[in-house]
Amino acid sequence: MAKSFFSITNMNQPRLLLLFTWMCCLGVTSIHGQSVCLPAPRLLTTMPMGGQVGTQVEVVIGGENTDDATELMFSHPSITASKKVDANGRHEPNRYLVTISVDCPEGVHDAHVLTPMGISTARAFSVGDLNEIVQTEPTPDWENPLVIPMNSVCNASANPRAVNHYRFHARQGQRLVVDCTSRGIDSKLNAVVIIADAQGRDLMVERGGDRLDFTAPADGDYLVKVHELTFKGGAEYFYRLALTELPPGTVPRRQMSTLAVSACSWPPPGLPTTAVSEESGDEIQSISLPCDLQGKFFPAADVDVFEFDANQGDVWWIEVASERLGLPTDPAIVVQRIEGEGDSLQLHDVVELNDIASPVKVSSNAYAYDGPPYNAGSSDVLGKFEVPQTARYRLRLLDLFGGTRSDDRNGYRLLIRKASPDFALVAWAMHRELRNGDRNALSKPVSLRPGATMALEVAVIRRDGFDGTIDLTMDGLPDGVTAQGLKIPAGKTLGLMLVTAHQNAPQGHSVARIVGTAQIGEQVVTHEARIASMAWPVRDGWSEIPSPRLLASVPVSVSGLEAAPITISPRDDKVWEVTVGQKLAVPLVHFRQAEFSGAAISLRTFGDGFENNPSFELPLGSDHSEATLDLAQLKTPPGDYAIAFYGTAVAKYVRPAKPSADGSPLPPPAPVDTVDLIISEPIKIRVQPEPTP
Amino acid sequence: MFCLSSNLNIVYRWLPVLVTTLFIGETVRSQDVADISFIRDVAPILTKAGCNSGACHAKAGGGQNGFELSLLGFEPLEDYEHIVREGRGRRVSLASPERSLLLAKATGRVPHGGGVRMSVDSDNYRLLQRWIFDGAAIGREDTPDLVALDVEPANELMQSGSHRSLRAVARYRDDSTRDVTSLALYESNDHAMVQVNDHGEVTAGDIPGKAAVMVRYQGKVAVFNAAIPLGQPVTEVHEPNNFIDVHVFSNLRELGIPPSPLCDDATFLRRVSLDIAGRLPTEVEVREFFSHASDMRRGKAIDWYLASSSYADYFANKWTSLLKNRRDEQSDITANFAFHAWIRDSLLENRPYDQLVRELLAATGTVIGNPAVAWYKRVKEPKQQVEDVAQLFLGVRMQCAQCHHHPFERWSQDDYYGLVAFFSQVGRKPTAVPGEDLIFHKRGVATAQNIRSGQSVRPVALGDDVGVIAPDQDPRLPLADWMSQADNPYFAKAVVNRYWKHFLKRGLIEPEDDIRDTNPPSNPELLAALERHFVDSGFDLKELVRVIVNSRTYQLSSEPNDHNLMDRQNYSRFYPRRLSAEVLLDSIDQFAGTHTEFADLPIGTTAVGLPDNSYNKASPFLRVFGRPNAQSVCECERVESANLAQSLHLLNAPDISAKVGSTHGFAERLATDSQTTPVEKVRRLYEAAFARAPTTDELETSIGYLMDSRSDASGNPLDAVASLRTNLQDLMWAMINGKEFLFNH
Repeated sequence: MAKSFFSITNMNQPRLLLLFTWMCCLGVTSIHGQSVCLPAPRLLTTMPMGGQVGTQVEVVIGGENTDDATELMFSHPSITASKKVDANGRHEPNRYLVTISVDCPEGVHDAHVLTPMGISTARAFSVGDLNEIVQTEPTPDWENPLVIPMNSVCNASANPRAVNHYRFHARQGQRLVVDCTSRGIDSKLNAVVIIADAQGRDLMVERGGDRLDFTAPADGDYLVKVHELTFKGGAEYFYRLALTELPPGTVPRRQMSTLAVSACSWPPPGLPTTAVSEESGDEIQSISLPCDLQGKFFPAADVDVFEFDANQGDVWWIEVASERLGLPTDPAIVVQRIEGEGDSLQLHDVVELNDIASPVKVSSNAYAYDGPPYNAGSSDVLGKFEVPQTARYRLRLLDLFGGTRSDDRNGYRLLIRKASPDFALVAWAMHRELRNGDRNALSKPVSLRPGATMALEVAVIRRDGFDGTIDLTMDGLPDGVTAQGLKIPAGKTLGLMLVTAHQNAPQGHSVARIVGTAQIGEQVVTHEARIASMAWPVRDGWSEIPSPRLLASVPVSVSGLEAAPITISPRDDKVWEVTVGQKLAVPLVHFRQAEFSGAAISLRTFGDGFENNPSFELPLGSDHSEATLDLAQLKTPPGDYAIAFYGTAVAKYVRPAKPSADGSPLPPPAPVDTVDLIISEPIKIRVQPEPTP
Repeated sequence: MFCLSSNLNIVYRWLPVLVTTLFIGETVRSQDVADISFIRDVAPILTKAGCNSGACHAKAGGGQNGFELSLLGFEPLEDYEHIVREGRGRRVSLASPERSLLLAKATGRVPHGGGVRMSVDSDNYRLLQRWIFDGAAIGREDTPDLVALDVEPANELMQSGSHRSLRAVARYRDDSTRDVTSLALYESNDHAMVQVNDHGEVTAGDIPGKAAVMVRYQGKVAVFNAAIPLGQPVTEVHEPNNFIDVHVFSNLRELGIPPSPLCDDATFLRRVSLDIAGRLPTEVEVREFFSHASDMRRGKAIDWYLASSSYADYFANKWTSLLKNRRDEQSDITANFAFHAWIRDSLLENRPYDQLVRELLAATGTVIGNPAVAWYKRVKEPKQQVEDVAQLFLGVRMQCAQCHHHPFERWSQDDYYGLVAFFSQVGRKPTAVPGEDLIFHKRGVATAQNIRSGQSVRPVALGDDVGVIAPDQDPRLPLADWMSQADNPYFAKAVVNRYWKHFLKRGLIEPEDDIRDTNPPSNPELLAALERHFVDSGFDLKELVRVIVNSRTYQLSSEPNDHNLMDRQNYSRFYPRRLSAEVLLDSIDQFAGTHTEFADLPIGTTAVGLPDNSYNKASPFLRVFGRPNAQSVCECERVESANLAQSLHLLNAPDISAKVGSTHGFAERLATDSQTTPVEKVRRLYEAAFARAPTTDELETSIGYLMDSRSDASGNPLDAVASLRTNLQDLMWAMINGKEFLFNH
């Protein structure tokens, strides 16, 4: 029996039609495979992937659900874009004119597109001072290379089972740097870059993403070959190949790249940009505490040794940054107490410091979901040195990756300080269940359907012993959107931010902030959270590894195209009060706008102290239900709480039908079983103490 | 009071002794019967009888029927316990020595799976019987330890067919000696050259050269070296081009084996191209080669091929297989490609061998950041790491020493675990790629536990102390330091021997990864000189190749003269080799002007350039011709022999006929090239296949065939071009199937 073909019309966007439909017959089984995550706009490619400061560049975009994009936006205001129009004044699909103002900082910025579904995921957009060219045709034959001008960047993509060839001319003794950026700008390409002679014979090869520093042995033409390590290719295997001339003795500058998630905890607030350099050589360097040093893991197997005096009972915090600076290192420290001197000198290990642990268990990328795939920890060092007795101490700092590698670019920053309790936050869109190795849902923008609540996990890296509660708030949200932070409890490392687009929320977007606030000593300290996401929707976790990174901003949007398949909210928008030890029944209202598989959703509970609330079934056939919280069983002490219910459901998603060429509506596409996370609107609870007799 | 029963018991007990005493042999009479030592006297008998061999009662082999002895008696104290204390006292019956299973089984008086191992009238039997009768004691504590074994003579020039009896002499800590000829074990390292029986009698075969007989006695080994001369006058020896020739020709003079003449230039070019670049010389290379002055062209060709990326591709193919770059899962692809490329790039830039090995052994980081880490993905366990490193880079097989003393060598379990300790601080952190870890140096004191003794063993490099390794120091680095020392007895030797075999077919030590005192080189002076040259060059692999292929020895003809056909180890001629699977496939493609497509790789990727074993599955050609699957560090995994399946494949397989008949191939181009005369067409075919011009006979025969008119399947005559095309394809097919094409000669 067909149910009503539900459509919504947004109050502010009456032209838009609804998106989810009921299946004609409940008994019909979809012939399609199950998808993971409702469709989201994802900006996947831009060509070129950047531009020169002070220029205008034509950019072609590609992505998922971006065909109807209306705007191309950037994380920095000095980059703007307009749709390209043809000679007849019509917008050319997916083409934009991007203007990079002269004051735009060089580096990697984020690009997004605005679609009727909302703001897309981010794609890196590089801004530099070199001339830019775009390769339009593959150059698989070394006899027919593309000429790349000196001091320029070529924007290109690798082709499957092929090599791209470039040619440049160099004088004998001329020093050139060939630098191919790919992974650092969201590309799937593991770049192989080869400099060859004019006959195509290889001279130098780089396969690890590093640059090639080349001095031409003779006047003549040279070739650059670029391909993917395993010869994959396609639009998503893009790269920026820079060829620059460099005077001898000059340190080459690397192209900028996006930041790893681990960089969220660096630098500590207020840290100067530079520090005193450690003395090179094998000598033991005497220092006094506190200190702020920078040094190098160089040459291979280098161990930098520092000595200092420390007093019994003092507590020092030691922090090393290297991996978080984007370097391929694994610093480690051992502090030893020195006893005796000369031939009778003895060293006693006091403390070993190694990695900064991830605040949450990181996914193993296994078949089933076993944790978020974001590692906010680091191979850097952050730990405590409690001085056991007044003595002289020796600190040995080494790179556990540095045994055979001599690269003087592998530097570090060493801080030894008295406790300066603090924290750093990073957030990402939450996922709970991924099917069949599908990591598609990991690449999810905060583009909300009206009536939907989205959860962001907010993880904290605690610094120097700070162990307190962190309250979470969010501001700068679009109209009709509210956010409820579920605090990071004292001693814990994970909180939640629930972002709700109300059912009548208008289409819109904004750049928001997630803020953590904590009482640290006498100070109220606030820090903005960074947000992380995946560069790509990965549909087969076996063959492709998700690649997380930090985003430049937190764009939030409300769809004008589709509504949430179901909205679950408390019947009344109020604070639900209950006496400690009692049961609280919360009436829930369901507003279902799509068909689902199954008759009920199994819901569990978010919220500090409420995680153990037993799961319960929410009937999908009804428009209301009731959730019960047994505070006696949960042992919930008096206080104010925010909770939400969540579960995984399989919606029968029907993509909105597009009008045909003559404007008449086309029949809706077949429904697709789509598994996604369903979260209720937040519920505020006040647990009152037992009334005193 | 006289007790009959007790007296009968006495009689019963002593009667066998009395009988035995009457027949006791020289061995027992010569020593104090009260002085029989289990370790010195009994255990060697068991070893000689084969009781403690792997197939019988050696624990390492499973120990038949629960009776477990240490392999070859290396742990006699444990064996004593097994024999005397276990088996519910049935193995040794003091009350009734004759009923001891040790005797009854060995003589076949009760059923014995191992058959009769000794007769009741043998000296060994009587000694065992006496030992049991005397109480089966372990022996006096002051029984001197065995410290060495000598064989007399140690070296001998043996004429073909001659015999020589060896004498094995055990030396003890108290400087006493003992003739153990009858108890020692003998084994020839080349049964075709010398044969030896259980009594130590050696017979020289009719193959000239050097062979060795290994003599073993209770964990000690000695070697008898036999030189078998051919005895022909060696009057004409080529002027040496380098030290290799000096040593090879000196050896040939000593053995009386006249060398073959030098090969011609065309043969050399094809040979050196196949050996260095793993492919046939191109037509352009052939022309270029012959454009140089005759005294320059060989050297120039060598330099050309060494500078080519084909050299890096070919030797990367060799090394990555030995380093087990194996695709087990689809997700291995990135690691495998990265690792292969790392090896290939290292060879291309000619990174010194010691540095390359150092970077591999002490690899840390991620696969993309440092592809050498991928080796630790394939070889996960420290024991496997040790065994692979020892066999591949040191030419020492340590596998046996994990459980027991090495039977042919001096390596003990402490030596084994001393090596394992170097790898004990390899830390791993999981990555998102299944089965792929990030490798780091785990700070701490490096040790490994000897599983038998339970003792912690600190890092020791095959008996060499590498000093104290601080907890901060990655212990793999001192191991790499030790390897690259100029006087390391294994590291350089192993690789020069391996490379020598690559170019000359037979290693100076065979197998190439089994370097030990008991397996001496066929030309020790040459091996030492190569080793020295390699170390002095800074472990320069290209220089190693250069010096080998520049030698007159390498450049000898493969055609035997009247005397040296039997020579298989003295390099008096070049020993032809069948092309390996990848080289042959590429050669056929190159000759036919075609490409074999490999999944997901660019068109034009050669079989030699394949990064891992995964392509074998889809290529019957590579499988039939024995491309290895990267399961082993042993080169023997590659099938180098010829077989019927290979012949049938070349004769009948569709892929071969498709290549020859390709519409874009060489035959087609020649057939449709109206500007080229038939003579020129034949000349180009011969140059492409053999790097030489056809002989007059070949030219005449070939042109005659090409000019034949052909008919289609219906019997209708084909036009001239179609006939020529068919005839060219036939000619190419015939050339591919000839030995001159299939072999490097």
